[in-house]
Amino acid sequence: MGDRLRIFLTISCLFLIWISASASIPLSESLGIAPQDLSYYKSDVIKCKDGSKKFTKEQLNDEFCDCPDGTDEPGTSACSQGKFYCRNAGHIPLTVFSSRVNDGICDCCDGSDEYNGIVNCPNTCWEAGKVAREKLQKKIAMFQNGITIRKQEVEEAKQAFAKDEAELLKLKSEEKILKEIVQKLKEQKERIEKAEEEERKKKEEEIRLKEAERKANEAKKAFEESSHDSSDQAPEKLSELPNQDAMEDHHDSAIEEKSDYTAETEISDSQAVGKVANDHDDTIAKSGDETDDTIAKSGDETYDTNEESSFSHVEKQHLVGDQDSTMLKADTDDYTRSKEAPSSHVLEQGQVLDSTEGLSREELGRHVASRWTGENAAEEEDGVDTAKEQGHEHDEDIPEENHGGYNSYSDEDHNFDDDDFEDDPDMEFGDHEEPAGTDSSDENDKTDYSDLTSSGSSSWLDKIQQTFSNVFQAINFFKSPVNISEADTVRKKYEDSSSKLSKIQSRISSLSEKLKHDFGKDKEFYSFYDRCFETKQNKYVYKVCPFKKASQIEGHSTTQLGYWDKFEESYRVMLFSNGDRCWNGPDRTLKVRLRCGLKDELMDVDEPSRCEYVAILSTPGLCLEEKLKELQEKLEDVNASRPSIHDEL
Amino acid sequence: MLSPASRSPRILLLVPLLLLLLLFSAASAWKKDEFRNCKQTPFCKRARGRKPHSVPSLSVADVSISDGTVAARLLPSQPLRQATAVDDPESDTVPPRPLLLRISVYQGGVLRLHIDEDTSAPRRRFQVPDALLPDLDDRRLWLSRLSSPASGSSSFYLADGFEAVLVHDPFEIQVRRKGLREPVVSLNSHGLFDFEQLRDKKNDGEDWEEQFRGHTDTRPHGPQSISFDVSFHGADFVYGIPEHASTSLALRPTSGPGIEYSEPYRLFNLDVFEYLHDSPFGLYGSIPFMLSHGARSSSGFFWVNAAEMQIDVLAPGWDDPAAPANGRIDTLWMSEAGVVDAFFFVGPKPKDVLRQYTGITGTPAMPQKFAVAYHQCRWNYRDEEDVASVDAGFDEHDIPYDVLWLDIEHTDGKRYFTWDRLLFPNPKEMQGKLAAKGRHMVTIVDPHIKRDDSFYLHKEATGRGYYVKDATGKDFDGWCWPGSSSYPDMLNPEIREWWAEKFSFQNYAGSTPSLYIWNDMNEPSVFNGPEISMPRDAIHYGDVEHRELHNAYGYYFHMATSNGLLKRGNGKDRPFVLSRAFFAGSQRYGAVWTGDNTADWDHLRASVPMILTLGLTGMTFSGADVGGFFGNPEPELLVRWYQLGAYYPFFRAHAHQDTRRREPWLFGEHSTALIREAVHVRYSLLPYYYTLFREASVSGIPVMRPLWLEFPADKETYNSGEAFMVGPSLLVQGIYEERQKSVSVYLPDGQSWYNLRNGVSYTGGVSHKLEVSEDSIPTFQRAGTIIPRKDRFRRSSTQMVNDPYTLVVALNGSFAAEGELYVDDGKSYDFEQGAYIHRRFIFADRKLTSVNVHPANLGGKFSSDCVIERIVLLGLPSGAKKAVIEPGNHEADVELGPLTLRGGSSPDAITVRKPNVRIADDWTLRIL
Repeated sequence: MGDRLRIFLTISCLFLIWISASASIPLSESLGIAPQDLSYYKSDVIKCKDGSKKFTKEQLNDEFCDCPDGTDEPGTSACSQGKFYCRNAGHIPLTVFSSRVNDGICDCCDGSDEYNGIVNCPNTCWEAGKVAREKLQKKIAMFQNGITIRKQEVEEAKQAFAKDEAELLKLKSEEKILKEIVQKLKEQKERIEKAEEEERKKKEEEIRLKEAERKANEAKKAFEESSHDSSDQAPEKLSELPNQDAMEDHHDSAIEEKSDYTAETEISDSQAVGKVANDHDDTIAKSGDETDDTIAKSGDETYDTNEESSFSHVEKQHLVGDQDSTMLKADTDDYTRSKEAPSSHVLEQGQVLDSTEGLSREELGRHVASRWTGENAAEEEDGVDTAKEQGHEHDEDIPEENHGGYNSYSDEDHNFDDDDFEDDPDMEFGDHEEPAGTDSSDENDKTDYSDLTSSGSSSWLDKIQQTFSNVFQAINFFKSPVNISEADTVRKKYEDSSSKLSKIQSRISSLSEKLKHDFGKDKEFYSFYDRCFETKQNKYVYKVCPFKKASQIEGHSTTQLGYWDKFEESYRVMLFSNGDRCWNGPDRTLKVRLRCGLKDELMDVDEPSRCEYVAILSTPGLCLEEKLKELQEKLEDVNASRPSIHDEL
Repeated sequence: MLSPASRSPRILLLVPLLLLLLLFSAASAWKKDEFRNCKQTPFCKRARGRKPHSVPSLSVADVSISDGTVAARLLPSQPLRQATAVDDPESDTVPPRPLLLRISVYQGGVLRLHIDEDTSAPRRRFQVPDALLPDLDDRRLWLSRLSSPASGSSSFYLADGFEAVLVHDPFEIQVRRKGLREPVVSLNSHGLFDFEQLRDKKNDGEDWEEQFRGHTDTRPHGPQSISFDVSFHGADFVYGIPEHASTSLALRPTSGPGIEYSEPYRLFNLDVFEYLHDSPFGLYGSIPFMLSHGARSSSGFFWVNAAEMQIDVLAPGWDDPAAPANGRIDTLWMSEAGVVDAFFFVGPKPKDVLRQYTGITGTPAMPQKFAVAYHQCRWNYRDEEDVASVDAGFDEHDIPYDVLWLDIEHTDGKRYFTWDRLLFPNPKEMQGKLAAKGRHMVTIVDPHIKRDDSFYLHKEATGRGYYVKDATGKDFDGWCWPGSSSYPDMLNPEIREWWAEKFSFQNYAGSTPSLYIWNDMNEPSVFNGPEISMPRDAIHYGDVEHRELHNAYGYYFHMATSNGLLKRGNGKDRPFVLSRAFFAGSQRYGAVWTGDNTADWDHLRASVPMILTLGLTGMTFSGADVGGFFGNPEPELLVRWYQLGAYYPFFRAHAHQDTRRREPWLFGEHSTALIREAVHVRYSLLPYYYTLFREASVSGIPVMRPLWLEFPADKETYNSGEAFMVGPSLLVQGIYEERQKSVSVYLPDGQSWYNLRNGVSYTGGVSHKLEVSEDSIPTFQRAGTIIPRKDRFRRSSTQMVNDPYTLVVALNGSFAAEGELYVDDGKSYDFEQGAYIHRRFIFADRKLTSVNVHPANLGGKFSSDCVIERIVLLGLPSGAKKAVIEPGNHEADVELGPLTLRGGSSPDAITVRKPNVRIADDWTLRIL
């Protein structure tokens, strides 16, 4: 009953509007013209809006196109470039293409676009408007809440950012002091060692002299006692002895050095810097005394690299490559290609050997099909084969390794790994010494530095400085013989300080890596840095870690959809690019479209084009005042059009 | 579908080797080695190796007329027969049985030559059934008299002005103009005729098997090939014999002096991965019809034979380098099996040849109107949501389109006639939403049927024994998209009927009346078969070997599908079926396209000669994938492709699943605007195109035409494959190079031409160097023509039905012009009963008249209230004040108006404003 009444009212209401409209100005003239434009059409001779011509009032909406831009036919389909305005009283006004006028399809909810009698379009604006208004109101409410949350988050982000910045500043100054201390300790240590060495040599010299004396005495005795046969041999023996000693000495000291180094490695290993040490293993072992320098230097380099904040991931890789050799760069390229290559491996191999004849009929069928589909012909034959398993490991481990910490160490790792990879394709990737994923190593970073960065850190530095000066004073006056306990103290202090130094440098590096990013106009995405968002769709889990990477996980296998590239469309889109390459296609990319929401939530991952993924992430970060205003204005407009219908009733 | 992670690396072994391989495969993706060349094909190698007159010659005996046809026997010429039969009874050359020769003549200048073995042959040779028009025999002329002006030959009437001559010894056939010595077309003038007769295996275990890349062809019936030479006299060029990719419309010589090694043109339907843009190797379809053109005459030759065919076009001097014959083109035709069933077409004008050919194989079917509009395709529109968003995208960007296509992934595991339930849960609703906007959908149905016992189609086909059999008699099992697959034996009419039934709304669940069909992979493509196809020793209905009908398999499949749609609509709805494979006669069943092309400029260029060639051989409803199937086109290439593709008779964009999305609005606003404009051009010309399709369906003259078809006397046009005519009135020049700034366009002689972009008139008979803008490709309207347009744009062609027309009248030197308009309901067969409007517009003496060309005796009625809203006059001397229309004596304003309404800067022409005369009526409009 109610429905019928409503329909009746709607129809009569439409009718009344129509009557009243045609009563005020002729329908055909004002048809399709937006209210704000009505005055434009008042004069007797009207200009085309593009300035190309003029037309008379009779030519307005006369079903013949005079203005190429459609100015003269706002209410008909005569001009292809024209636009038709529907008032849609009770709902939102709409401007449609002229091609929609009298095409037999109802486009305007008030039905005004279909007036030639071929179809009857009922006025649905009231109902549709109601729904739209409710939706709009809900959206506004959400924006309002979202804006509040956003404000909070922005505030927190700013604080966190300031804190990190302060910490970085402090760490840098500490680094400077500590560097000096380490340098001095090193010198001290070397001096002590030199002194020890001299002392030792002196002792040996004494022993040698004594011995020589003794021998000389014995020889003299012998000479005196017996014949003169052996007189030639003595000097020879004499010259041999010291040589032997020296060799042994050297050997000992090498061992010492090495064990020192090992200790260091152990310490730093747990601190994510360990990787550097490991990688430089050979270099260090060879360079012996220069070990410390190497670490320090590589730390510096890293830091420099990180300071070039504009470098994208790829550029960085190349930079590292350049530092080392072009060989490494080539490896990187090869590696990237090889990522997808194996899927076509089996069939390609067949081709070159020109031996598809060797394939079974089914294999041949799959092989040919795979040209079009790009699917691996071999893989589907057996659910589980070794290749597949290997592939999974590859999937998982390699990318993790490459981009684990997002510092240049990992890039170097990557290159070295590739070397291995090239030389020894049989190698299991599981052998690589970094089982931990990104996240855990990040966490390690944090926990490790908590003691450094806590409020007590200044006292820590004071303490070290204090100790240093004590030690320094105590050993300042160089005494001989060297006090053994003092020497040990210096060594220990040196080890402690240089290990602290590498910790600080590592922390500086990771902090500057973080701070170089663009976190949005109000740093609203600052908290995203240490977070990942996940969503499950069918058999895949999608994991998006802003500023880092995005991946698609299926069981044990992970495909990189892309590495952090940048924000696009004024912080409305996060772009991840250079992901794993598709067979016969591009590198995978992911665009994450951000939209206002009360929670940070990843949803709707899609692949509209092969290997070009899109996803939606709702976040309060996108709940913006301007947008809210826009929505509110829209609501006002809609509400404003409501009373008018009642007026006319 | 989301790309599974499983596409990432799997096998780490041999990576360096693999990288090397990738480099290799990038250089040439086309797997040349997978396809046989002539040398690897014994019959081709043998035939090609022969010298003229080196084959034991045959002579004609016992010439007689029986049943209105000429009958005779072909026997080895006397001396040779004695030599072989008497001297060496043990030799390889068994005395051959006589061959039976029959010659018949058909109305309109067609000679048919039939040569087969006599009944004592161990087996019946295959003759392609249902390829020629069923009523052909009704048009046969009853021959009653043989004249023998000189002994040693028999001649008889062929057509007015033409006679056929059968030369007795050595055997030769000539088609001659009466009174002239030199023939128009002749067969065996060079003595290369060879017919390998069927025989039994000799006792010594003769091995007939053939090996190719691990595939064994048992060849149980041994060698049975046929080859002969055909000469086109007075020809400058020969054309036709699709399908090959080429940048040249005229067939380049493949053998003879000055020709670097080339394969013959191969006619063997093949699914070729990433085919080259210029190669004589066979592609998806085969039409063994060649036509010649020269200043003096045009003629044609057609061999109804569905076995593998190889054809050499021989360069002048091939037979005698010292005396190259000019004004004649010799060709060598070789086929693996079958009989000689060949047609000679006398011309003399090229359009006559086309009429003669389509008189035998049928004219193109009249398409549904929507099918002439723009089609949007991709492998694959993933799900219903994707379909909805693409559909909405067109509306949002005001780009019209009529058909959305679904490729193989829409099915449930590549079982055709089914839907993936997850991705397409509500197919009817989806089609309904499109249909509500006047749009249609096309789904793919391929011939390979998944060997899955739970699949009803497979169960039925297996149960009824409907599959093609392998050499051992079991159902042939090959590999295609669904994996293990079998192929219905479409040669069998009963099976075709069964197949047709599958398209009923009841049988094809989820189909609606707005759904039409796409037949792909019907060469047939068999991934693990020899040359990616079916083994030649597979067995069809009637113990026919696959080798004998290979080239027609796709044709029968297309036919069955088309009949299915016809049945579905109770014979009232015109089918639309796109097929990839084709054979002579496929034009009766639907459209074809040029298969899996590539997104590069060369393929854009090759598309024009390819489509023109298809048009010349009957398949006028054809096109190339706009944008290129493989690869990602740069925006410029894509735009150029739309600008050219808008003039293809069949206008569809398509892309491989690995390519980036390519919907017209994805390349920036500027490109979107250019593509929109290109699509609008097509939609505005739809009345003209539809009229041309009507002409094609009546006369066989294609929609898209080589220039020489319209200007047969203008030698400059003979080898032009860059520019083409759309109908008689429009000349289109493609742009085939990146950042091209200017182009040289030859405008044919005799008339001037109006550039449709700037209204400027150009003289004909010279090349003009034109600046090229990115906005459009050069298009000209020939002076003296009238083109009907509709300049209002809609979502799809369906909504344009009531929209008014624009006539563009391009006046020639005597201020006259003519043009036609054909209109019917766009979907039914009522037009066959005369339910259509057909007008001729004639402008002369400042008077435009609409004349009815609809024959009065046809009963059917079709009416339309459509009016002409605008008449644009190009080349009218100034001084027009108004127009007066009779009957009614009402006036219309005349003013300067734009040539087109699209774009800002269209040049002004004289425009009659709102004459509002009905297209259905007779009227006269005088310009005062």
